[in-house]
Amino acid sequence: MTNRYTPQGAGLSLPITRRSFIRASTILAAGGIVYLRQGLPAYAQENFDELRKLYDTAKIDWQQSKGSAIVLGGLDHPWMNAIVPLIPMFEQLTGITVAVEKQSETEYTAEMPIKLAAGSATPDVYMVWSLGQAISAKWLEPLDAFEANPALHDADWYDAADVFSSARSFQKWSDGVSYGHAITAEAQTLFMNKTLMAAANVTAPATMDDLLAGAMAMKTDTVAGIVMRAKPTGDANPWTAGGFIFSYGGAIVTLDGKSGLQMPQTIAAVDMYGKMLREAGPLGIASYHWMECLNDFMQGAAAIGCDSSNFASDIANPEKSTVVDAATFGALPGGNGAVPKPNMWHWMAGLNAKSANKNAAWLFLMWATSKPTSALAAAAGLATTRASAWESSAFKDRFGADAATAALSNLSAADGDLFKAAWFHPKSGEILDPLAIAINEVITGTRDAAAALKDADAKVAKVLAG
Amino acid sequence: MNQAIKAKRRFILLMLFPATALLAGLTMFPFVGSVAMSLTNYSLVTPDALAFTGLSNYTDLLQSREFWAALKITSLFTLLAVGIELFLGVGIALLLHHERRGVPTLRLIYLIPMAITPVAAVFIFRMMFNPSLGVFNHFLMSLGLPPVDWLGTPGMALLSLLLVDAWQWTPFILLIAAGGLAAMDEEPLEAARMDGAGPIALVFHHMLPMLLPYLAIAVVFRAIDAFKTFDIIFVLTGGGPGDATRTLNLLAYKQGLEFLAMGYAATIAIVMLIITIVVAQTFLRKMNLFQPKASL
Repeated sequence: MTNRYTPQGAGLSLPITRRSFIRASTILAAGGIVYLRQGLPAYAQENFDELRKLYDTAKIDWQQSKGSAIVLGGLDHPWMNAIVPLIPMFEQLTGITVAVEKQSETEYTAEMPIKLAAGSATPDVYMVWSLGQAISAKWLEPLDAFEANPALHDADWYDAADVFSSARSFQKWSDGVSYGHAITAEAQTLFMNKTLMAAANVTAPATMDDLLAGAMAMKTDTVAGIVMRAKPTGDANPWTAGGFIFSYGGAIVTLDGKSGLQMPQTIAAVDMYGKMLREAGPLGIASYHWMECLNDFMQGAAAIGCDSSNFASDIANPEKSTVVDAATFGALPGGNGAVPKPNMWHWMAGLNAKSANKNAAWLFLMWATSKPTSALAAAAGLATTRASAWESSAFKDRFGADAATAALSNLSAADGDLFKAAWFHPKSGEILDPLAIAINEVITGTRDAAAALKDADAKVAKVLAG
Repeated sequence: MNQAIKAKRRFILLMLFPATALLAGLTMFPFVGSVAMSLTNYSLVTPDALAFTGLSNYTDLLQSREFWAALKITSLFTLLAVGIELFLGVGIALLLHHERRGVPTLRLIYLIPMAITPVAAVFIFRMMFNPSLGVFNHFLMSLGLPPVDWLGTPGMALLSLLLVDAWQWTPFILLIAAGGLAAMDEEPLEAARMDGAGPIALVFHHMLPMLLPYLAIAVVFRAIDAFKTFDIIFVLTGGGPGDATRTLNLLAYKQGLEFLAMGYAATIAIVMLIITIVVAQTFLRKMNLFQPKASL
C-alpha cells in the first residue's frame, strides 16, 4: 500500500537551526493567529525577518513574479482559516498580491464548476472539491513542469519526503501526472466521552459489536449513544459509512472499477451502521450532517462520535465545547474480524489551467504547502500533510496529543486506494448519491441493507459502465 | 401622412427595443440555449465528448423511476401547500375584513415572513426542528408530550416542509384576498343580509364567488412558485429521508450542479416548464378568467 503513513522519527530537518525554526514557528502561535482573519498579527509582523529566514534558504528567487496579482479560491474550512492570516507574509516575501475568495461549502461547490467551465482565469489557486471531476474537465494545470523547473522549485528545501506518503499518493493521478498538492490530512476517528463511558462502565471498543453494545449502554433519554452522519447526500453519510464498509472488508467501488455494493461485507457494514444509529443514535438522526454530530458531541448530548480527526481542535476549544476534559480519541474497530480501515481525506489545492499568472500561483502553492508554512499553520491547529508539523509541540498543544496520536493511527490504517476508487472517480457524485439514499433508508428502517443496496448497486453499476 | 405613420412606427419600435432586447437576452436566449442543451449529452466533466443526442435525454428521463417519484412528491407538495395557504390566507383575510383597530399592524406582522430572506428563515427553522435542542420539541415536552422527529420520516418531513412554506407564503394569499375583499361591491352583500343570509352563507354563497377571480390568480402564482420550491427542501431535508422529498427542482440541481450533467439537467428544467405551462393554461381556461363578463 502506498498510502501508509510512516512517522518520521528524525523530526524537523530544515536547513536552519532547530532553535531558529522553533522560535519562528512559535511566533504566530503566540500571536493567536487562529483568531485573526486578515492581516499578519502584529507580533509576527515585528518578527518577519526571523520568519523570512525559513524561506530564504530555498534556492529560488521568491521575487521573480513581483507585481503579479493572484486570487486564492476556497471554502470556509480550517485550511483557509489557518493560511489566510499568513498571506501578508507571502506578499512581503514575493511581492505578489493575493486576493481571497472564500465561500460556504455549498456555494463554493455549486459555483466553481460553472465558473471554471466558463473559462474563468480566476481563482488562480483553488481548493479542489472533487479531483476526478476537475481533472476530467481539464480545470487543473499539471504541476510536473513546475516541479522540474529549478527556477521555480527547490526540491531539497521543499523536502517532499516529509509529506505523508498517503498525501503524496493523492497527488499523483492514474496517468502519473500531478495535478494538485494535498493540503490537509484527515482520518475517520472515534471521539469518546470518558465521563459517560465510566458511568456506564464502557471501555474503548475493540470490535464493531463492542461499539454497538457500548453505544446502546450509554444511550439515555437525553444523551445519544453515538452520532454519525446520516443525511442522504453524497457529501454526508457515504464518508463515515465508507469507513465501516472498508473495515468490514467491503468496497464502494472495487479496485478493478466495479460496484462493491453487493458484496456481503458491504451489506453487513451498512446493516451495522444503520443499526447503530437506529438503536443508539439520537432522535432525528436521519438529517444529521457532520455539523449536527459535532455539536451534539461537544454539548455532551452524545457519548460517542465518529468523524474527521480535524474536529479535534473544535472539541478541544473551551469556547465551543463543554467536553474538553472528558473527550478522548480512538481507532475505528474492524467488523467481523476484518482489519480496520477507517476512511480518510486529503483536501487538495491546485492551479487553474486558465490562470494568467501560473508562475505566481505555483509559488503560492509551494509556499502554502512548504515545511515552514505547514508548521506555522499547524501551530494554529491545522492538520497539515507534513510529519514535521504533526510532531511539533505547538500543533500537539492546539490539536491535543491524544487526538493527534489517534488521527495518525487511523490515517496509517486507512486504505487510500479504496477511497480513491470511489471519491476520485470523475462521476463520484453519481456514485455516492444512490449510496447515500440507501444508507439513509437503512438508518430510518425504511428498508433493510440488502434491498436498499441492491437498488443503489444497479445505479452505480450503470454509472461505472457508462 | 405616410411619413407620419412611418415616424410613429419607428418611435414605437424604438421604445419597444430596450424591453425586447432585455427580454431576449435574459429570457429567450437562455431558454433557447436550455432547449438546445437538452438535446445534447453536454457534461462539464467530459466537455470534449459533446454530441447531439436528440430526444434521448427526454426518453431516459421519462423512463426513470427518480423522475416519476420526484414528480409525485412535487405535485403532492404543490397541491397541499397551495391548499393550506389558500385556506389560511382567505380565512385570515375574512376575519380581518371590516375590522379597523389593529389591522394595519397585524397585516404588517403577517407580511414579515415574505420579506425575510428565505434561506435565512429556513436555517432558523432547521434549528427549531432539531429534535434534541430545537424549540418545537422543547415546547412539546413542556406540555408533557413526547418529542417528534420532525424531519426523520417521510410523512413528518413533508409536513414540516409544508409548515415552513405555509408560514412564508400564506401572507401572499392573504394580501390578494384582502385586496379582493376591499374592492368588493358591498351592495349585493347588504341585500343578502337583508334577505336573511347568515355569516357562513354570506361567505360561501356570496363573498367567495366574488373573490374567485382574485384567488384564481393567486393560486396560479403560488402553484408555479411551489412547484419550483428549492431552498426550503434543500436546507431542511436535502431531499430525504431517503429520496422521499426529492422534488423535480432538487433533481435538476443534483444533475446539473453535483453531477455536472448539464444536458440532462436542462431536460428536467424544460419538462418542468412544459408541465407548468400546460397546467396553468388549463386552469386559467377552466376558470374563464379572461372572458369578458358580458359573454359569461
